[in-house]
Amino acid sequence: MVLSGAVRESRGARGRLVFFVLCLALGVAAVTGVAALVASIESALRAQSRELLGADVSVDSRRAIPAEIDGFLLPGGGERSDVRELTTLASHAEVSRLVELKAVAPSFPFYGQVTLEPRARLGELLTPLTCAVSRDFMGEVGLALGDTLRIGGQEFSIAAAVVDEPGRLDIAFTLGPRVFVSLEGLARTKLETFGSRIRYRALYRLPEGTREDWTQRAKRRITEEYADAAYLRVESHGDAQPTVRRSIERFANFLGLVALLSLILGGTGVAQIVRAWISARTQSVAVLRVIGFRPRDVLAMYLGNVALLALAGSMIGALAGSLLPFAVVVAAPELIPKGHTVAWELGPLLQGLGLGLGVALIFSLPPLTAIWRVAPVRVLRSTVEPLPAPRSVTVCALLVLIVGVFAAAWTQAQQLALAASFTGGLAVLALVLAGSAKALTMLAARVPRTGLDPYLRHGIAALARPGVGVIGATVALGLGVLVVVSMVLIDERLATRLRGALPADAPSVFLVDVQPDQWDGVAAKLVELGATATQSVPVLTARLSSINGVDVKELAARRADDEGVGRQRWVLTREQRLTWMRELPKDNRVVEGALWSDPRCFELSLEQKFAEDLGVGLGDLLTFDVQGVPIELTVTSLRSVEWESFGINFFLVAEPGALDAAPHFLIAASRLEPEGELALQRALAADFPNVSPVRIRPILEKLLAIFSRLALGVRVLGLFTVVTGLTILAGVASSSAVHRGREVALLKTLGLTRLGVVRLLGLEFALVGFVAGTIGACAAFALAYAFLEFVVETPADLPWIALAPTALAVALLSAACGLAASARALTSRPIESLRG
Amino acid sequence: MNTTARLECHDLSKRLPSGGHELVVLERVSFAVAAEEFVAILGPSGSGKSTLLGLLAGLDRPSSGQVLIDGQRIDDLSEDALSLLRRRKVGFVFQSFQLLGNLTALENVLLPLELAGVGGARERARELLEQVGLGERTHHYPAQLSGGEQQRVALARAFGPRPPVLFADEPTGNLDAATGARVLELLAGLREREGTTLVLVTHDREVARLAGRRIHLRAGLVERIEQGAGA
Repeated sequence: MVLSGAVRESRGARGRLVFFVLCLALGVAAVTGVAALVASIESALRAQSRELLGADVSVDSRRAIPAEIDGFLLPGGGERSDVRELTTLASHAEVSRLVELKAVAPSFPFYGQVTLEPRARLGELLTPLTCAVSRDFMGEVGLALGDTLRIGGQEFSIAAAVVDEPGRLDIAFTLGPRVFVSLEGLARTKLETFGSRIRYRALYRLPEGTREDWTQRAKRRITEEYADAAYLRVESHGDAQPTVRRSIERFANFLGLVALLSLILGGTGVAQIVRAWISARTQSVAVLRVIGFRPRDVLAMYLGNVALLALAGSMIGALAGSLLPFAVVVAAPELIPKGHTVAWELGPLLQGLGLGLGVALIFSLPPLTAIWRVAPVRVLRSTVEPLPAPRSVTVCALLVLIVGVFAAAWTQAQQLALAASFTGGLAVLALVLAGSAKALTMLAARVPRTGLDPYLRHGIAALARPGVGVIGATVALGLGVLVVVSMVLIDERLATRLRGALPADAPSVFLVDVQPDQWDGVAAKLVELGATATQSVPVLTARLSSINGVDVKELAARRADDEGVGRQRWVLTREQRLTWMRELPKDNRVVEGALWSDPRCFELSLEQKFAEDLGVGLGDLLTFDVQGVPIELTVTSLRSVEWESFGINFFLVAEPGALDAAPHFLIAASRLEPEGELALQRALAADFPNVSPVRIRPILEKLLAIFSRLALGVRVLGLFTVVTGLTILAGVASSSAVHRGREVALLKTLGLTRLGVVRLLGLEFALVGFVAGTIGACAAFALAYAFLEFVVETPADLPWIALAPTALAVALLSAACGLAASARALTSRPIESLRG
Repeated sequence: MNTTARLECHDLSKRLPSGGHELVVLERVSFAVAAEEFVAILGPSGSGKSTLLGLLAGLDRPSSGQVLIDGQRIDDLSEDALSLLRRRKVGFVFQSFQLLGNLTALENVLLPLELAGVGGARERARELLEQVGLGERTHHYPAQLSGGEQQRVALARAFGPRPPVLFADEPTGNLDAATGARVLELLAGLREREGTTLVLVTHDREVARLAGRRIHLRAGLVERIEQGAGA
């Protein structure tokens, strides 16, 4: 009965129904489309960040990595590939150089490629007797393919030059040029048995489709359950690079926000339409009540109707949304490379359908409570005092709405905290909007309308109209304005921020192992080659021997007993690199204490997070063993470091004077054009053979590509949301205009010309739009400010001056949409006023 | 009584297309109404009363025939010209009151006055509301008024710009007998005072009894015209 009633009810209101379906379809298309697009971009990014690591997960240790670890990571299949790295001497004829030797299995790398000259696959190329050598190094020493390199007492024939390899940006550990050999090749040498400092690494490829959170759980289980976890460092591709990781997190947050807001926007559109629908159906509701329907029967009938329409709208929207990535591939191929479009997946489609249905139903509930206000006696009298819905019904509808929004937010964002703050923030905003609208209607009722232009008076009177229509429209419009304006404000700045994540003066080459007496010569060479942004710092390696007099071995042993602190233990015992300087570079900021402020002792400045890992703070005394000499330094300041700058930065910075006399070398960073880099290499090889240039341009370019992709993604999604938002906004603005036909007919009967009617209605819509626009735009600026300053941590720098024009633009848009939607009403003929 | 024709119609016909053939709603209706005359149009449901009223008031266009107000043909005027004509010459009272819900009683009365650019509009509106007994309720919205009160506001609105012709479509149709009688009394009183020509459509003989002439319609044709005891 409910169903047939619903079908019957839908007769004669086709226009509005089409509107409803369209509104919901757009909302659902936004959600499904964003989800599909994000999945596609994520898939592309995952591939890219996997290429940075060369694997899904990498496990690092100073000891051989036991097969036990495989049990944690490969229960669902997958593959492991072993890598061993060590710094050793390689010699050719008379020349001996420190190189970074990397012994790999044929499956290395799982993702990405080692680019070789001539073109070949590294795994196929390497035999126990061959090696591949950095092209830079070959140029420097004058090696050719086929030449022999002596490593660990064995000879290796050079089979290829290494141009580029997947890997982390890990400059701190890069001491020399790269040489690849096979694991069997390494076994031929005596290097492994000598107990030299080998870094063992196991790379894992996980089955396709493994989720990042599964990987993170597996990582945690290793730290918690594996006895010797303290010796391991486990990294997944998700955290391959702190800079990239943070950007991806920001991106994900932003996308979550975008999708949620579009969803809510669709919901408010639905609510507005249902409200207008019910108010136009008051007479029918009254008739239904007269013939014996209880309010809840009528509610069920309308809900059934809403559900049918919602199903249609959601289906259209979900299908259209899943097509979005395909459209993006065509329009912006650089955003989603071929092969990463996530094809039709049932899951997101069903999720879109479910969300659409849910949102339509929960947002319809509050306006549907108006059914209670329709007294059956309305049938007999044309106007009757509206009856309020029972308090329990109103409260329930509101509760369902809040819980529903929260559930939708949770489904969408998969983050409890985000969903809660989203729902809370939205509730507060809706309250502010409703409160302001209420205050405004009261003000409009009080403001003396005497002497005003009759058109303007009519507009103000429309605001003061008793009932909930104006408040509802203002809230919906205001929310729409919030979504659109905040997206416009945020997406551009977020994109700029992402593109600017790599500073223009990021170094392109690092020079390692420059002896202090060589620096003047090297620096002169750099100037000659047109290098910019050159900086150099002294570096000294030392071991931490005690903290506040307690031996670090003892501290490490204590930590081993605690759970989950394996990493901190490793931090204590590793070889530390120190530098000293009078003033900090601009990417450093003292956050606690003061730099070089205590004349009584030699001071040390620590990077904030590193100090946390060490477990030390201001005033602690750290003793270092510098080649047998104990040196005591007191922590007097903590710093934050912007690692994104790619400058040379250290966890430990000492006061000048404390260490200057100890044997040290210099690290320099400089920015050069690619030709300059090659010339530098040759010059260094000739004059300073011990200095190793490390080119990071390829890595920089990879990072830049990722950031550009993220930035483009943000823009595309922002644009999509703005377009969707504007459409729904237009819908909301016009929903109240749909049933104006009779009013227009009456006005014409009273002698108003068509232009007069246009002026009158336009002013009314413009006033509502102006109010909603003002509040919505203020909220949007506040939200954008908070999001940029506190979530993205970038200076918001908003164009506050645009606030007033925004409100005016909304007023214009509202008037235009309202009039457009009233087009049919405007053509209504005065005779209609006779047909009571 | 002034015998100049205020309103005339000649051979007025209205046909509506209805499923392949034409439905004749009005057929060759002709009569004239003198200034300050009160004419009632009577007839059962579906006899074409409201259609005739719509044509006479310029709310609808005839299929053939002419309508003249003060000797000016109105059946061939443009939509906007008709609007302006109504603004100057025509007032309306409807069965279902048709007040604008977002305007107060006073503002509803003011609207046509201001449209017509009448000086002292506010005083006139107040005065009329007092005449219909609503001097205390000028700031109430239609939803806050009873049906009878709404119709009285509608009367004040209709008489506001002193239209030469007033059309009333079943003005008491939605009201109980007592309230209806009171509204009718007010309507007649105002008409008398303002010297307005009134064309009233009704199916209620009691109501029609007040009219000077009664035009009986049946199936789109004028059945008979009867002189009454009224004005």
